[in-house]
Amino acid sequence: MNVNLENQVDTKIIDEIITKHKGKPGELLTVMEEVQEANDYKYLDEASMGYISSKSKVPLSQIYSVATFYSFFNLKPQGKHTIIVCRGTACHTKGSKILLDDLTTLPGCKDAFDAGETSFTTDDKLITIKTVACFGQCALAPVVAVDGVIYSNVTSEQIKKLLENLQEENKDENIRLS
Amino acid sequence: MRKKIKISINGESVEVEKGTSILDAAKQTGVIIPTLCYHKDLCIAGNCRVCVVEIVGQKRLAPACATPCEDGMDVLTNSFKVRNSRKHIIELLLSEHNTECTSCYKNGGCELQLLASEYKIMNQDFINLVPFHNYTIDMFSPSIIKDDSKCIRCQRCVRTCAELQGVNALTMSYKGDHAKVTTFFEKAMNDVVCTNCGQCVNHCPTGALVEKNYIEEVWNAIADKTKHVVVQTAPAVRVGLGEELGFDPGTRVTGKMVAALKRLGFDAVMDTDFTADLTIMEEGTELLTRLKGALVDKNPTIKLPMATSCSPGWIKYIEHMYPNYLDHLSTCKSPQQMFGALVKTYYAKARNLDPDKIVSVSIMPCTAKKFEANRPEMHDSNYRDIDYVLTTRELAIMIKQAGIDFLKLKDMHFDRLMGESTGAGVIFGATGGVMEAALRTAYEIVTGREVPFDNLNITPVRGIEGVREASIKIENTLKAWSFLEGVELKCAVAHGLVNAKKVMDSIVSGKSHYHFIEFMACPGGCLGGGGQPIPTSPEIRAKRAEAIYAEDEGMPVRKSHLNPEVIKIYKDFLITPLGEKSHHLLHTKYTPRNRF
Repeated sequence: MNVNLENQVDTKIIDEIITKHKGKPGELLTVMEEVQEANDYKYLDEASMGYISSKSKVPLSQIYSVATFYSFFNLKPQGKHTIIVCRGTACHTKGSKILLDDLTTLPGCKDAFDAGETSFTTDDKLITIKTVACFGQCALAPVVAVDGVIYSNVTSEQIKKLLENLQEENKDENIRLS
Repeated sequence: MRKKIKISINGESVEVEKGTSILDAAKQTGVIIPTLCYHKDLCIAGNCRVCVVEIVGQKRLAPACATPCEDGMDVLTNSFKVRNSRKHIIELLLSEHNTECTSCYKNGGCELQLLASEYKIMNQDFINLVPFHNYTIDMFSPSIIKDDSKCIRCQRCVRTCAELQGVNALTMSYKGDHAKVTTFFEKAMNDVVCTNCGQCVNHCPTGALVEKNYIEEVWNAIADKTKHVVVQTAPAVRVGLGEELGFDPGTRVTGKMVAALKRLGFDAVMDTDFTADLTIMEEGTELLTRLKGALVDKNPTIKLPMATSCSPGWIKYIEHMYPNYLDHLSTCKSPQQMFGALVKTYYAKARNLDPDKIVSVSIMPCTAKKFEANRPEMHDSNYRDIDYVLTTRELAIMIKQAGIDFLKLKDMHFDRLMGESTGAGVIFGATGGVMEAALRTAYEIVTGREVPFDNLNITPVRGIEGVREASIKIENTLKAWSFLEGVELKCAVAHGLVNAKKVMDSIVSGKSHYHFIEFMACPGGCLGGGGQPIPTSPEIRAKRAEAIYAEDEGMPVRKSHLNPEVIKIYKDFLITPLGEKSHHLLHTKYTPRNRF
C-alpha cells in the first residue's frame, strides 16, 4: 500500500462540497465532514483546512477549534479499518480496559495510549484503534465498533478474532461472533 | 433614556438602568465583586465563575458579570454561601495553574495571585493537576511568550484576538478538561497569523501570555563600558509610564522619564518623536508624489489610497491578510526603525563614534516593535538598526530595580541631535495623530497656509470611533502644486485591527475612494498598545489621549517641517525627502505572508 502522508483533498472537490452546502445552516460542519470523507485517509489535513478557511472566510484557528471539539473529526491519517472501543462507565465495569489492552499489543499502540492519545494508527495505515466516551449502548456492554458495525458483549477472545480478521488478506466481511 | 429599576445589593437599595449587570450595579454602590474573565474591552464570557453572587430566592449562585439586574432583585455579594463558593472556585483555578509565583514574570501583577492573596488561600484542598498535563511554553516569537501551564482558560486573549483585532490567531481547542488556548494546529505563535500586537498580553490576567523581555540584555549593555548605549522613547510611553510608577492615568511624565533614563545609565537619551517628525517629511512627500503620479500622470502602477506604515502590528496584519495590497503601504519605515538606521550612521558620524560600539535601545508601548526590530531587512545601517526593544512596562521594571524614586525626579530634557520634537511628533501616540501631523505639514507645503482648523487641532480625525473619515478641500495652492487645486483630499483613520479590516474590505470591494489612510493595530493607537501598563480600559485610553493632546498644545513648535533638528538633518545629511540617502535608510519593503 502506498502511504502518502502529504495526502490532501483536491481543491476542486472541496469547491464542489462548499458550493453544494452554501447558505445552509451548519454549513461548516457538513463541509468539514465531507472533506474528511473525501480524503483517502479520512482525516482533515492542514492544507484542506486552509483551503476551507480561505473559501468560507471562517478563520483557520476556528476551523481547528471545531475539528478538535468533535471527536468525529480526525487530524491524523486514519487506517483502512477502525476499531472503536467504548471506555464509558458501563463498558469499563464490564471489562473494556481488557479489550483495549488486547488491541494495544499492536506495535507502538500502548505507548500512544499511555501518552494520553485517544487514537492510534498502525504504520502501514491498515488499522486505527480509537476510544470513545460512550456509544449509548450500555445494556450491551462492553461494546466495540469495527468499521461502523457494533459488536456487543465482546470478550477478549472475540476482539482478538476481530483484529486478526482485519489483518487477513481475504477478510470475512460478514464475520459473526458467537 | 432607559427604564430605571430598583434592586437591593447587600441590603442597600440602588436604582439602575434596565439591562445593567449586577457587577456594574454593585460598582455603583461601592461594592467590588472580583472578576477574572471579565474585561471592559470584551464581550461577556461568564466562564471563570469568580464573580458569583447570591440572589435571594434562587437556589443557584449567579455570575454577576453575566446576569442583568431585575426589578426587586435582592443580591448578596458577601454571604457565607458566596464566600465559600468563591474560595472554592479560586482553589479549583489554582489547582490547574502552575503556581510557581516567585519565578513568574507576572509576579505581583497577576490577577489570580491577587485573588489568592485576598482570599488567603493557604492550604490547597484540591489535587494539583499541573504535573498531570503536558504543557508547552512557546518562546519562538521575538515578542510574546505563551505558557499554557499558567492559563486559566478565561479566554480573554481569544476574545481580544477575535473581537478587538479580528486576527483570530488564538482559539479554544479541544473540550472539557482538555480545553486549551491554541493557535491553528498548535503551531508556534511566530508561525501563524499573530501580528505580535500584544493585546492578548495586555488582557491576560495571569502569566500565560507575557512579553519576551530584554531587561537583562539592556542592563548588560549599560554595564559594558566599551558600548555607547542610546535610547529612544516613543510618544505614547510618556503618557503611560506614570501609571506603572504611582501616577494616575493620563499623567505626562516626559521630563521625569528622561531623568530616569539618564540615571539608569544610558549614554544618550533621545526621542522617537524626532523620527516621527521625519516620517511626516518622508511620508508627506511620498503622499504628494503619489497624488501627482495617480492624478496627473495617471500612472497605473501608483496605488492610492496610501496607507501609513508606522504600526508594525498593522504591517504584519496586511502582509498576512491582504498580501495583494502591499503596494498601498507607504514605503516609510516606522519612526523606531528610522531612528535605528540613523543612530548608527548620522548620529555615529556626528558624535565620532564607531557604530559597532553603539547599542541602540528603544522604549515602546508595543510588543510588535520587538518583532519589527528583528526583521531581516532592518539592517540598513550595516548593523542591526535597533538592538533591543523594551515595552513601557519593562522600562518601569528597570526604574524600580534601579531604586529610582520616580515621583521625586526633576524634569530633564532629551539630548540633542535626535531629541528635538514637535507637537506633531507627539500625537503619533494617539489614533488619528499621524494623519493630523501629516495634514498639518502637507497642507502647508501645498498651499503655503496653515490647515484651516482652529489652533491646528484637526478634530475630525481625533476621537474613539473605530473608523473616522475626514476630507480637506485644497484651494489656492502654491504654483508648484497647482495640479492639486480643488482636489478634495479624502482621509480615513482606523484603529484596532478589526476596524482596519472594515476599511480594507471596503477598499477591496471598490466602495471606498480615499487618498490617505492611517492604520493603527491597537485600540486607541499606540497609547493603547500591547506594551502599555496593565490594565488598559476605554477610560484609561481616553485619559492617555487627553494627555497626548495636552502635550501637543504645550509644544512651542507643532508642525513637523519646522522641527529644527529635522531641518538640520536634511541640510547636513539626508539632503531631501525621498532622496537617495532617505531611500536607503528610511524606506523599506514588505513581505507577503500566508494566512495560517
